[in-house]
Order: sequence, then C-alpha cells, then structure tokens
Amino acid sequence: MAGKKTINIPLGSQHIALLEPVRFKFECENEKIIGVDSDVGFVHRGVEKACTTKFKFDSVGYVVARVCGLCAITHSLSYTVAVEKMLDVEVSLKAKYLRILLLELDRVHSHMLCLAHTCENAGFEAMFMQIMGDRELVMEIQELITGNRIQFDFISIGGVNRDISQEHTKIILQKLKLVREKVLSYKSEFENNWSLSLKFKGVGVLSLDDAYRFNAIGPLARASGLKIDVRNEIEYLPYKEIGFEMQEELGGDVNARNLLRLKEIFNSLDMCENILEGLPSGEIITKYKGKPEGEQIVRFEAPRGELMYYVKGSKKPYLDRVRIKTPTFACIPAFSEVFLGSEYADAPAILASFDPCLSCTAK
Amino acid sequence: MKKIKIELEELREKIKEFYDARLWHFITLNGVTLDEKSIEIQWIFSKYEALDELVVYFCEIEPTQIVPSIEDIIPSAIISQREIVDLFGVNIEGSEKGLYLDEDSLQMPLGSCSMEKGK
Repeated sequence: MAGKKTINIPLGSQHIALLEPVRFKFECENEKIIGVDSDVGFVHRGVEKACTTKFKFDSVGYVVARVCGLCAITHSLSYTVAVEKMLDVEVSLKAKYLRILLLELDRVHSHMLCLAHTCENAGFEAMFMQIMGDRELVMEIQELITGNRIQFDFISIGGVNRDISQEHTKIILQKLKLVREKVLSYKSEFENNWSLSLKFKGVGVLSLDDAYRFNAIGPLARASGLKIDVRNEIEYLPYKEIGFEMQEELGGDVNARNLLRLKEIFNSLDMCENILEGLPSGEIITKYKGKPEGEQIVRFEAPRGELMYYVKGSKKPYLDRVRIKTPTFACIPAFSEVFLGSEYADAPAILASFDPCLSCTAK
Repeated sequence: MKKIKIELEELREKIKEFYDARLWHFITLNGVTLDEKSIEIQWIFSKYEALDELVVYFCEIEPTQIVPSIEDIIPSAIISQREIVDLFGVNIEGSEKGLYLDEDSLQMPLGSCSMEKGK
C-alpha cells in the first residue's frame, strides 16, 4: 500500500485571520495538521540593542513602552521596577495603586480585543463590532488618566507621571460600570451561542500535562487548569489587598480560553473599582539619584501572560543588557503542540484564541 | 534571585537533576555579553505559586564554544535557544539561525563584537 500523501499549507505571513505578521507552515494529511513550523521574526526591530546603545537608562522606559501597543504599560512597568530596585527607590503606595489601575485596564481592553477577534473568526461580525465599540470606553478611560489612548508614557522611575482628580475618578467609575454591563450582556453569547461556544468546544485543546510540559503561561495555561499568574507570585504590587483572584478553566480549548478571559475582565474591573474607591493619598513620584548598578529580573502579568525583564547596569548612563521575554514568544512551542492533530479549517480560530502579539514577540 | 554557577559540561546533568515540570516553570534563556571574549548564558526558572522564587543557572562561555541543548529535557527551551543563537551568535547544539535575522541582516547584534554605547 502506498504511503499517505501530505501537503504543506502556509498560514501567513499575511492572512485575513491575523492582526500582525506571523507565518505557520502546516503539514497536513487530508485536513489534519500533522506538522507545524513557525516564523515569528517579521517585525524584529532590535529594541533590546537600542535600549543599551541608543538610549540612556532614564529614557529606556519610554522606549520599551513602544514594544507593544496593547501592553505598553506592562513593558514600561517591568523595566522601571527593575531599575528602581537597582537604585533602591521606594515608590509610594498611591503610585503603586495607579500602576495596577493601568495594568488592569490594559488587560480589560486587550481581552476584549481578543474576544472580538474570536467573534470575527467565527463569522459573527456583528458581535465583533459590538465588542470593539464597547472597548472604546476603556480606551477613553486610559486617555482620561494618561493623556493617550495607547502607548502612554504614564510610568516613570519613582512613580507615575499624572495624578487622578476626584472629578476624573467619578467619570471613570461611571464608565467602568457601563463596561461591566456591556461585558455581562455578551457573556451569555459566549456561553450559549452555537457559533461562539459549542463550535469551539473540544477545538484547539491544550491538556494540563502539555501546559506544564511546554511551560504555557497566561490565559492559555489558566484555561487548561495550570495555576500560573505572576500577580499571584509577586510581592511588589499589593494585588491581594485590592481583590485579585486567580481565574481558572479546565477545558483547555478555544471555548475555555474565551470564558477565562471573560472571568478575568470581571476580576480586573473589580480591582479597578476597588482602587478608585480606596485610592490612598500621597505623592505620585519619588525623586531618585544615581545610576543603576547590578542585575535584576522582574516579572509582571501582561494580558497574554508572564512578561520578564532582565536588566543589568554598571553605574553608567547606558545599560549593559536589557532582556525582554514576552508572553507570546514563550508560548510558541505550546501553540505548535495545540495545532498538531487539529483540523486545518480550525487553525485561524485556534490562533485567534491564543491572542498572539507578534509586535512583542519579534521586538 | 538565586544564581548558581555551573560548568558547560555539567549543564545537562544539573538541569535534569533540578527540573521538575510540575514544580518549576522555565522562563527563558538569557545571554549577557561580559567582554569581547566571554558571554554569560543563563537558564531562568521560577517556582509555581511561590512568592518571588527565582533560580538562575548560569555559565560563562567563549563565543566559539558549543552549548548543549536542553530541548529534550525542557521542550519549550527550543525557541529561546534559537533567539540566543541569532542575537549572540552562540552555537547551541541543533539550534538553527534565522528566527529573527535574515542572511543579509546585521549578524549577532548583541554579541561581543558590538559593545559600543551611545552611537
């Protein structure tokens, strides 16, 4: 009997299901994917190199905010905290609360973007437009706090750059209430609508064993039951006191990832409201002296999972090393594992459920 | 952060001994150029559900030395191994070049040949 024939089908680098350039080469046997190869470097910009050669350490926080438009705040915060640790700068509690506020707003709008994208891939375009429209509320809040919708230079060494007024607090709380209502209104769609729930059950499954084996992180891991969330593993930000609760799903499929993101949006909204209602008084920025010396590893939970910065300095204006490990980059091996055995027709929806960020990955 | 220095020859043995996939999360590989003749390679881990518990295995190598792959012990290491190969020009067993850089790109941009600052 002759051996089975396989065909190679590329997905990307430009594809209607992709928001950014990435290329997967699938080896398929009939419709089933039996081999995966990926190319993730289309938007490599040499950010790490620029951070140690073109920009002095006090400007690098604003450079790394441009690694990614969606999680700019997590990038600038991770870098800034690493430098603050080296300079021994004590940041006020108020500044820490404001930092968490922006981190969680970032998560809310990023998760909403992913859910919208999932709807688009399911052919449910009305839902896509509805979620993208609702997401604008979060962008407006970010603009109110930082002055920019995205890529805001809100975080500085020693604290944050802008305070929040009583009047703004009131407006933000009203908008958050509205966001909650909107997200609640489409929660049932993701739970019950055939296009968004049943269709995706059992599709693109990452088992708990494979999540451990491939060191999955972020919503991808938590939707498979792996309890990993940097917010649960760091002392630096007072996450526990503002109501952080690790969310978990057990299905490991596209549907579980969608439901997990919905749960996380609600928890993030709770935290934002708690921060605004109990914002401590005090300074928003602490002055610092000196130049960074030594090495630090800092991690924060970006919307897509663990973001790690390694920073090394030797008391000079230019740093010796800035290493950025982004969540999507770390998950590429797990992505490949999920694709294996899946139907090629499901590949775009599976990819969307990973919520990949290639701007971060290639940096 | 707990840093543990190891020799290149004992890398695989030490990682095998240490790594329990249900206990430790492999974060990434990192490279740091120390001077024109040496690079520090780091393997960074965090403990699941523990507060700020990081372990870093590291060794200093010359750019011409061949670093053993740990892909069979930790499958997810493949991607960061390829990154180090591209950006530092380090030789890691079985890891191809070309994750980020094309053939006509500036090669090994973070390697020991490019240490000038502020230019």
